[in-house]
Amino acid sequence: MITRCVRIICALVICVAVYFPARHARHYEYIPLKKVIQELTFVDGTPHSENHLRNCSYEDLILKSKEVPVSDITKPKKFELPLRGGEYIPRQCNSIIKTAIVVPYRNRSEQLQIFLNYMHSFLQQQSIHYKLFVVEQNNSLPFNRAQMINYGASVAISLNYPCLVLHDVDLIPLSTGNIYACSERPRHMSSSLDTFRYNLPYLTLFGGAIAILSQQYEEVNGMSNLFFGWGGEDDDFYTRLISHNLFPYRFDPEISRYSMLFHRKQPKNEERYETLKKSLKENKNDGLNNLHRKYYIVQEDLFTRIVVF
Amino acid sequence: MYFSLIRGKKVSDNNKTGLLNTMQDRLRVPWRGGAKQVAFDSILPVIILPSMLLLGSISLWWTVFSFTTVAIFLSLIFNFLIKTIPNTKFFFVWTVTSMVLLYFIFEFIVIPFLEILVEENILLSALIFGFIICLYTTKIRANELTSLGTEECESSVGKEVGGFYNCRICDNKIPDKDHHCVWFDCCISKHNQCCFIAALFFAIAALLYSSNLTLTSVCHPFEFYKTILLPDDCSDVYYQFELALSFVSAIYSIAIAILLTVILLQQIFLVSIGMSLKEWNKLSIISKLCLGLNTKRIHNRGFLKNWSKIICWNKYQYHPLNREV
Repeated sequence: MITRCVRIICALVICVAVYFPARHARHYEYIPLKKVIQELTFVDGTPHSENHLRNCSYEDLILKSKEVPVSDITKPKKFELPLRGGEYIPRQCNSIIKTAIVVPYRNRSEQLQIFLNYMHSFLQQQSIHYKLFVVEQNNSLPFNRAQMINYGASVAISLNYPCLVLHDVDLIPLSTGNIYACSERPRHMSSSLDTFRYNLPYLTLFGGAIAILSQQYEEVNGMSNLFFGWGGEDDDFYTRLISHNLFPYRFDPEISRYSMLFHRKQPKNEERYETLKKSLKENKNDGLNNLHRKYYIVQEDLFTRIVVF
Repeated sequence: MYFSLIRGKKVSDNNKTGLLNTMQDRLRVPWRGGAKQVAFDSILPVIILPSMLLLGSISLWWTVFSFTTVAIFLSLIFNFLIKTIPNTKFFFVWTVTSMVLLYFIFEFIVIPFLEILVEENILLSALIFGFIICLYTTKIRANELTSLGTEECESSVGKEVGGFYNCRICDNKIPDKDHHCVWFDCCISKHNQCCFIAALFFAIAALLYSSNLTLTSVCHPFEFYKTILLPDDCSDVYYQFELALSFVSAIYSIAIAILLTVILLQQIFLVSIGMSLKEWNKLSIISKLCLGLNTKRIHNRGFLKNWSKIICWNKYQYHPLNREV
C-alpha cells in the first residue's frame, strides 16, 4: 500500500516536472485579424491634404494578408525611390499613418542591404508615410542595442514622427498584412519567428520588432542605456512598460510571421541579469534623458544614418 | 592462451570463453548485502554511448569520427559476442541506454530552449509509451513460449505449426520461429511478430519526430509546403555545447530510425511472401534477387492468410504433446 502511494506520487512529480507549460513554448493571447484595424492609431490629415486626396484605407491590406515565401526575401525588389534619407510619402492617397523605423546596427552591411531592398518594397505596398533610421554604433564597446534605439527614437521624435517601430536589421516580415503602424498599446510584432519554430518562447518576450507610440516611449523614458552585449535590454523595457500600465500585446500570428536572416550567434552577456536588477531601480535617470551628444546624421539614399561614437 | 598469442596461433574457442568468464567473474559493483556481479558486456553500452555523444559534440569531424568508430566497433563485436556469450545482454542494454539517453537529452536540454509546445512533447511521449508497451508485450509473449519447457508442443485444433526451430541463444525449441532479435533480447515468431512490427513502427515514429523537433530547435527551420517544419541551416550548432549535443543526439536518432526502417520493411516483405528470416538467409543470391518468388515457400498461404496468421489478437494455444494417448 505504501509502496503503491510512493509510486503514484513519484509518477505525478515526474509528469509535472516534464510537462510543466513554463518549460515549453507558449500559446498567447492575441488580437484576431478582424479586430486589428480597430486597434490602430492614425494621425489626422497631413499637410498634403491640400491635394484633396482621400485618406488611405488599410482594412483590405490587413484582411487579405498574404505570405511572402522565404526564398523571395533576397530577390531584388522594385520600389519607388524614396526621398533622400529614406522617407516615403504615398502619392495615390493621403496617408494617415506616419512611422519612423529605427534599426540599431553595427557591421551587418550584407543584412542591411537585404533589409533595405525588402523593406522599401514591403512598406510602400502598405501606403504609409515612413522613414528609415539606421543607428550605427561606432566605438569598440560591446554593442548596445537599446542605446542605439534611444538615439534613433530621439531623432525621430524631434522630427514629429508619432509612431516608432524598433526593428532588428536581421528580421524580415513575411505577412503583407503586417502593417507598420502603432496601436493603442505597445505591440510585439515579431511573435511568430522562424528561428523559434514560429512559437513564442515565453510570454514576456519583447525583442525583435516592436511598435510603440512616441508619446508612450517618452513616457517610459525610452530604453535603458546600461545593457552592453547580448540580452536583457528587452526584458528591462518590458518591465518599464508594465510599471507604467502599458501592457504590450500581439496581433494574430498570421500577420506576425518573421524570418531571421542568418548570422553567427552572439555570445550572451553574462552580466545581463545583474544589469537587469540594477536598471530596474534607475529607469527615471537612465534612458532618453541621459544620452550624450556625440553623434552625427547622414542622409543616405535609402535611409538616414545616425552614427554614434 | 598467452603463449598461443606469442606464437601467433589461433586461440581456441574454449580459451576465449574461459577468458571472458573470468573477466565477468571479477567485475563487481558494491551493492546491498555485498558485491554484486555485473556482466562485463552489460556495462559497455552505458560507457560507450555517452562517450560517443559527448565526443561527437566537439566538432563536425569528431562527430564523424565517433560515429564511425562506434559503428565499426559494433560490427566487429556483434558476431564475437553472439558466439562467445550466447545469452549476452549487451545489445538489449544498448537499446535501453539509447532510449534513456535520447529521452533525457530531449527533455532536459532541448525542451529548455523554449521552442517546443507542450502538446508536441506529449505526442512524442505517447509514441515512446507505445513503443515500450509493444516491446514489453513482445517479450512477454516470447517468455510464454520458453516456459513450455523442452517438450514438443502441439497447436490447438485447426491451427498448424510451421515447425519447431532450435534457438541457440534461448536454448529452446521455438514454434514458428522467425529470428532471434538480440536488440530486444527475445525470439520473434508468429506468436509475437505483430507486436514486434508495431514496436518497430512506434520506435521509428518517435525517433523521427524527436529528431525533427530537436533539429528545428537548434537549426534555422523553414516550412515545407506550409505545414511541416524542416531544418535548413545547421552550420553554427557547434559553437554552443548544448546545441551540439542536441544536434548529435538528433543525428543518432535519425541513424537508428533508418536502420529500423530497413528492418521494418524487411519484416513486412517477408510476412507478405510467407517466409521467415531464417529461410530467407538460406536462399541463394539469385533467389534473393528474384525476391524469393521463384523458390518453394512451404509456409506460404497467400498474402492475406500470411498476415492474418500474425495478427495481434490471435492467441496461439500450445499444449504439451500427450504421449499417452
